[in-house]
Amino acid sequence: MGAPARKREVPHVAATAWDLLRRFLTMREGSIIVVTVVLVVYFSVTVSTFFTGPNLQTLLQYFTWLAIMAAGEVFLMINGEIDLSIGGVYLFAPLIFYEVHGGGIPLLPSLIITMIVCMVVGLVNGLITAVFNVNSFITTLGTLFTLQGLTLIISHAQNLEMPGAPSTDPNTGASVIGTFASVFGAGTYSELIWALIVIFVMQLALTRTRWGLHTIAVGSNRNAAAEAGIKVRWVLIRNFVVCSTFAGFGGVLEAVRSSSITPDPSAANSILLYAIAAAVIGGTGLAGGSGTIVGALIGALFLGILQDGLAIKGVNANYLVFYLGLAILLAMGINVYVGRARRKSGLG
Amino acid sequence: MADQAIPAEHIVAPVAAPDDVLRVEHIAKSFGPVTALRDVSLHLKKGEVLGLLGDNGAGKSTLIKTICGFQNADSGKMWLHGEPYEPKSVDQARLLGVDVVYQDLALIDELSVYQNMFLCREPRHSSTPFLDSRRMKREARKALDDIGINLPRLDVPVARLSGGQRQSIAVARGVYSDADVLLLDEPLAAMGAKEGAMILELIARLKEEGKLSMIMILHNYVHVLESCDRVNMIVDGVIALDKPTAETSVDELTEIVVDEYRRARLAAQAEEAARAAAVPVED
Repeated sequence: MGAPARKREVPHVAATAWDLLRRFLTMREGSIIVVTVVLVVYFSVTVSTFFTGPNLQTLLQYFTWLAIMAAGEVFLMINGEIDLSIGGVYLFAPLIFYEVHGGGIPLLPSLIITMIVCMVVGLVNGLITAVFNVNSFITTLGTLFTLQGLTLIISHAQNLEMPGAPSTDPNTGASVIGTFASVFGAGTYSELIWALIVIFVMQLALTRTRWGLHTIAVGSNRNAAAEAGIKVRWVLIRNFVVCSTFAGFGGVLEAVRSSSITPDPSAANSILLYAIAAAVIGGTGLAGGSGTIVGALIGALFLGILQDGLAIKGVNANYLVFYLGLAILLAMGINVYVGRARRKSGLG
Repeated sequence: MADQAIPAEHIVAPVAAPDDVLRVEHIAKSFGPVTALRDVSLHLKKGEVLGLLGDNGAGKSTLIKTICGFQNADSGKMWLHGEPYEPKSVDQARLLGVDVVYQDLALIDELSVYQNMFLCREPRHSSTPFLDSRRMKREARKALDDIGINLPRLDVPVARLSGGQRQSIAVARGVYSDADVLLLDEPLAAMGAKEGAMILELIARLKEEGKLSMIMILHNYVHVLESCDRVNMIVDGVIALDKPTAETSVDELTEIVVDEYRRARLAAQAEEAARAAAVPVED
């Protein structure tokens, strides 16, 4: 309004920068990226050993398999469902692998059979939920306990040595890592690579395929999705199958990495809750209709950094759980705020 | 009881014609104890626009949802282009050329305008599972421009749009499908006068082109007389009137509805009186 043209340029650049910043912050993953970076900076400054190679490798163990499990869970949460049985599948899969391999079947085919068993678990969850219209919280609570019980019964609650995992040479005492072990969990970056593959593929599936679009549609408005011609039950069942498969795969990777099968339901239960926490912190709601796979990866990374950082800082383990709780509440608060800002700003 | 409620002269037998695109005969559908459709027969000629009228709960939407494959009829038969037509799903009906615009619009709030317009028939890059978003956006833009709906952005979630804009997206989705039979369940319900006029103009244009045959549920009789070639009225789950719009008037249509109300009230009063008479008198 009559202001000289050259004076207008400066606010224009600032406005563009501000707009970009606002766009970034109102991205579904924007806030958790900022919070994670702040956490990294905090630990880098306060803990001298944080940014060292060995610690970063330790960090991988904290979040990679969690990200894999969270990726499947996000798909179900976008559907408006939840899968608690991943805590059971995570425990059960390595044991199945052990039993199948013990029956004389080579490592890779044993892994494939194990994955098929996990798919069947997902299929059962999906059928009960989608066909008989049982709430998935109840369905999967049932399969969670069933699988954990089966694991305890079959293993007699004893730790077992994971077949195919790194072993110690009895003569030299050196660690022997076979090809199977280095690919499926024991190689330094094997879990990271698997996690990145899973996240990449699932993010593409969510945003660029019919499967993803229909998953969002079913979670957002089940009736409208059915009216549009989407096969709602099929979408649900497929996502339950995928979720179970990833949970079993995460279980096998962790068993190979740690060389042992530990039938501990309470540990598995916290793993289940961590996976849901990673998804939620990453920006996926429980109401369905929206979510992000990349966010789940960052959520898992955030949880990993928090645990790892607090551990090397020497913080009492009891505080760790407390901080974790606060972090989830904080992340949820930010997500709600950012969600509102996003709707108000008119950005996608 | 209900059988007696409809004057015999209103009940029409279906007139089968050789150029019928769609023929529906003796369709019945109940939901538990509630009978939505008792015995519905209708036909639709090629290029025709058939207006479907009826009171709330008369069974109009149930009929539409049966024809479009969303639900199966309990009994009765349908023919499409002279072939037996028994759609098992919306998808199958769509493949056979029958598409629908639902009363509740069937839009997904979280998805964008263009994603909604292609929901369940999304084009993909050849031989990959990946969606061809550019093509969806281009074709969605073309369709909306064609109707005259001006939306600045097609990549925003439809939750942000006004009721009228949402409805035009739902209508555009039906019209620009490959359908040759289109069912429209109250396509003007959420619209203002201007948007409604746009849709009616679109329907008039489609009628002129003559490729699309339509069944349209409308509430406004003036719209019916203006846009439709023929009108069918459902009363109590049967077609109680079948006339070309040229041979009927707002007055006649109104009279049927008023008459229906009158009969319903008389029936209720009679029932009340019967109940009162049946109460034993205590000393």
